[in-house]
Amino acid sequence: MAIPQDRHVEDRPAINRLGLWLFILSDGFLFVVLLTTRFYMQGVQRPAEVNQPLGLAISIVLLLSSLFAYRGETAAAYGDVKRFRRNILVTIGLGALFLAGVVIEWAEGFHFFPPQSTAYGTVFFTLTGFHAFHVVTGLLALVIILLPGQQKRLQSGNHWGVEAMVKYWHFVDVAWVFIFPTLYLVS
Amino acid sequence: MKKHIIIVACLAAALSAGLVAFLLRVNFMPPEAAAQAGPVDRLFDLLLVVAAVVFALCLVGLVYSAVVFRRRRGDAADGPPWHGHVPIEVAWTIVPLVIVLFFSVYGAVVLKDITRPSGPIPELEVRVTASQWSWRFEYPEYQVASSELRLPVNRPVLLRLHATDVIHSFWVPEFRSKQDAVPGMDTILRITPNRTGEYKVECAEMCGIAHAYMLAPVRVVEPSAFEQWAREQKR
Amino acid sequence: MSIVSLGIVRGLMSGALGAGLATGLTMLARSALGAPAWDAGQVTTIAVFVGVFFYLGGLGAFNYWLRWIAGRPDPEHASPPRPHWARYFSFDTNHKTIGVQYMVTSLLVIIIAGILQLIDRLETAQPGMQFLSTNTYNTLMSVHGISMLAAVLIGIAGMMNYVLPLMVGAKDMAFPRLNALSYWIVPPAVILLLVSLPTGGFDTGWTGYPPLSVKAPLGMQFMILAFYIVGWSSILGGVNFLTTIFKMRAPGMSLFRMPIFVWAVVATSVLQIIFTQFVGIAFLMVLLQRLLGLTYFDPNTGKVLLFQHLFWFYSHPAVYIFVLPGLGVISEVLPVFSRKPLFGYKAVAISSLGIAGGGALVWGHHMFAAGVESWLVVPFMFTTSLVAVPTGVKIFSWLATMWMGKIWLQTPMLFAISAIAVFLIGGITGVPQGIVPVDLYLTDTYWIVGHFHATLFGGFVFPAMAAIYFWFPKVTGRLMGERLGKLHWGLMTAGFLTTYMPMFWLGLNGMRRRVADYDPAMGLGPGNVVVTVGGFLIALSMLLFFINLTVSLRRGAPAPANPWGAHTLEWQVSSPPPEENFAAPPKVVGPPYGYGAPTAVHAVLSPEDDAGRKQG
Ligand code: HEA
Ligand code: HEA
Ligand code: CUA
Ligand SMILES: [Cu+2]
Repeated sequence: MAIPQDRHVEDRPAINRLGLWLFILSDGFLFVVLLTTRFYMQGVQRPAEVNQPLGLAISIVLLLSSLFAYRGETAAAYGDVKRFRRNILVTIGLGALFLAGVVIEWAEGFHFFPPQSTAYGTVFFTLTGFHAFHVVTGLLALVIILLPGQQKRLQSGNHWGVEAMVKYWHFVDVAWVFIFPTLYLVS
Repeated sequence: MKKHIIIVACLAAALSAGLVAFLLRVNFMPPEAAAQAGPVDRLFDLLLVVAAVVFALCLVGLVYSAVVFRRRRGDAADGPPWHGHVPIEVAWTIVPLVIVLFFSVYGAVVLKDITRPSGPIPELEVRVTASQWSWRFEYPEYQVASSELRLPVNRPVLLRLHATDVIHSFWVPEFRSKQDAVPGMDTILRITPNRTGEYKVECAEMCGIAHAYMLAPVRVVEPSAFEQWAREQKR
Repeated sequence: MSIVSLGIVRGLMSGALGAGLATGLTMLARSALGAPAWDAGQVTTIAVFVGVFFYLGGLGAFNYWLRWIAGRPDPEHASPPRPHWARYFSFDTNHKTIGVQYMVTSLLVIIIAGILQLIDRLETAQPGMQFLSTNTYNTLMSVHGISMLAAVLIGIAGMMNYVLPLMVGAKDMAFPRLNALSYWIVPPAVILLLVSLPTGGFDTGWTGYPPLSVKAPLGMQFMILAFYIVGWSSILGGVNFLTTIFKMRAPGMSLFRMPIFVWAVVATSVLQIIFTQFVGIAFLMVLLQRLLGLTYFDPNTGKVLLFQHLFWFYSHPAVYIFVLPGLGVISEVLPVFSRKPLFGYKAVAISSLGIAGGGALVWGHHMFAAGVESWLVVPFMFTTSLVAVPTGVKIFSWLATMWMGKIWLQTPMLFAISAIAVFLIGGITGVPQGIVPVDLYLTDTYWIVGHFHATLFGGFVFPAMAAIYFWFPKVTGRLMGERLGKLHWGLMTAGFLTTYMPMFWLGLNGMRRRVADYDPAMGLGPGNVVVTVGGFLIALSMLLFFINLTVSLRRGAPAPANPWGAHTLEWQVSSPPPEENFAAPPKVVGPPYGYGAPTAVHAVLSPEDDAGRKQG
């Protein structure tokens, strides 16, 4: 006898959402570890060569990208595929810009506080490195929801994919909000 | 019910008495050879006694239930539907709480006791260097260095430990306490040897291939003999 | 059916291909950058990551996601019911398959890790070096430790996977595909652990403290990668369990109507998703320092103790990850075989959370001798002592559950009883370690080795055996041999006592841990002989267990749906349960352990389920 699938009361969106939050919680602890490590190894010391203006610039870029991601998600929720695409494309562009900024900082960092011989270099490259890895995966996620296959799903009113990827992107941004002051400001 | 409780209490008392007698009679640890060993051993003895009583109580309860309340052939009935009893549950939360808090306080007192600089006699400082896989002892006061640890009896000693490569740990079982030697930082250990004799420093932290063999002789000698040894070393 | 159609075979082939490709490309890239093409550390690390990725691809782990990305339909339970052995070797998303996969993997790893230490025990039975080098001894000992702990993580995942969805009345886990992925990254980790043996091993113990681990041979790196992968399996599993418990319970199952095992899974999963990150990063830092020369643990520019803080911040809670599910199993088995409700249900449920919460604040007790600031040491002594209290609540509640019951001494119950006694030994010997001045003597001696084997046997090995004997009829539809089971129990309990009781004596007499050799003058020889003999007794009992397992699997008597007369939900469906567990969600109407009241009911099945059960 075939059993109808929907006999189980299952609130899929709620299940997915909780799963995502738990995953983000766990991933968040990764940054907690790294931030704690920064203070444990270095106290609040910071070399003078840290490029604060650039850091600030890329922080703003990343925060802006979160704004566009949010607009994209709202558009998706209303089924406005065109506006959704435009906003997510901007988000991806800003994310890539952020990464470019990180690359410049790495080049400078290798010069002033090489990771192999200074504690600050070690924590700086670890923190920005792990964060950049998250940015890359976030960008991949955003590209995925732009793929043509996804549009059908959006049009049929299911925007869970967009919601999940955008939440993840917000998480990556929030992580940076903590990283920026710890690496660039405290002293 | 009352009968069972009385029997269990008697059995548990008997078992604890036996265990305690055994634990306190047998000398498990090597003989004490430092002033700091006494308080530690007394604390440990008390811990063993309490552990024995708790263990006996639980074990007797467990085995007694399994044996006496076992299901007889042909008896398919359930036991009584007891879901809990708040006063009892509170009691078995509070009593262990009190016991462990007592031991924590006692432990803190003993710790203070064995780590503070003791007495009016100035401490003899020894710089201990641990490397894979050997020990080296320097005596700044006498400006000598040695591969064996020679100490005068009854004079407080301050060991200043450090390691050159990986983590090691300084341990003379007769002195009781261990202390790791960590690269990049200095750690200290205070002991007052109070029994002459020969002992061994053993490395107690995994440090590679020859960890098992990272030993050095310890000689606790009369002060005069120590002074003489130090003079000879200098030459 | 050809062998290549098995997921695991395709996965392994594809993985080997990926690793080979990555090796080649990395070497090319290195020489293009002007470095020597071969650098064992960097090349193999990249090969491992790429290889695992390819392996998962070959296995079919990404098929669902690719379909989702392409916008095609991606049903949650796409795996067609293939009720034969092949599904155990494929990417199957049914939690019951996955539970069995985990459990079998865990048993395999236990055998391997056990045999490694038996070799070591032959060496240490006598002072002097007989047939191993100290280096080999150290490596075998370290691999034994880390593999056993991996086996425990895998084993608890097995128990939780099989039982949990049934217990809460769900048709599967919340994320079946993620669940399968969490399992399938484990086999490569096991392979990596074994690869560490021929690649130089590692002589650091399972704790892998730097700077020693930074200098250790290549084997260290494989151990790190293996543990990192198992860690991710653990995290993803935790996310899945928590979501299942909080979102997929059957109607009527309020929090305080959940079986205690479910509470244990909550506590375990919370610990897993929070703390695993810490050890993951700690080990990654060692890896980065080894590969790229970063300076986390460099004595001059870094902080040597950083590793220990991060490591124990996970690894202490981890010991509760290891035991909480096992203690949950004890709480399940006892009421059934005592025919009484679990005494103090609420207290036992909450004590799991208490242990988990308290356990988060005690990591410093592994570092009493490590040179941490003295003002830090005393608080850790207090918190450590406090954890004894909720654990005591569990033990006393169990005793009260058995008290005046009708104790049915079947094999699962016997194992549960042994587990309590053994765990008690472990706990009681843990308390002195928590008292700083005493620990400064005990630390790094065989006393500690005795302590943690007792907690691990009492909190995992014996409960896992109880769990297997208890749920075997449910899983296979056959009863397990009772006579051989009792023999296994007797031998294992005796073997445990022979192996581990002398360790306390050895430790107090000054036997350090992790030594390949010891001074003959200390008179430790006889004690060590007893330990070795005991180790082989345990191995013999395990052999009986495997015989029992295989024989019962083929020829055991058919099991009814509920051979033990238990109330919880998994016993209300047929044995083995249907593919989707319940045709419709059951209704939970009462507490899970209503024994003693003839009319007490935990849950009512839907009419279809009830019909199915009567047939089954
Ligand atoms: C796997 C499970 C497990 C469990 C459950 C525990 C439980 C406990 N452990 Fe253990 N421990 C390990 C596994 C475990 N441990 C391992 C693997 C190591 C070594 C790691 C390594 O270095 O390799 C270790 C090491 C270890 C150390 C460090 C030793 C050292 O290296 O110097 C300490 C120190 O405090 C400690 C303490 C405790 C305490 C206080 C408990 C408590 O939770 C125990 C509580 C239980 C009870 C106390 C019994 C029941 C209670 C009662 C009946 C109430 C009444 C009791 C009293 C009033 C006393 N453990
Ligand atoms: C769950 C965890 C677990 C388990 C079950 C065991 C099981 C055993 N352990 Fe384990 N042990 C650890 C976890 C565990 N250990 C850890 C974490 C360490 C610390 C490592 C470190 O310091 O870094 C350690 C360290 C350790 C030491 C200290 C080493 C040292 O400090 O130098 C010793 C010493 O005797 C020891 C002995 C044993 C023995 C004899 C067994 C026996 O019980 C093993 C019995 C054998 C088996 C269970 C398998 C046999 C099965 C068969 C032969 C059946 C074959 C059947 C078929 C093929 C079908 N162990
Ligand atoms: Cu030095 Cu062990
Ligand atoms: Cu601990």
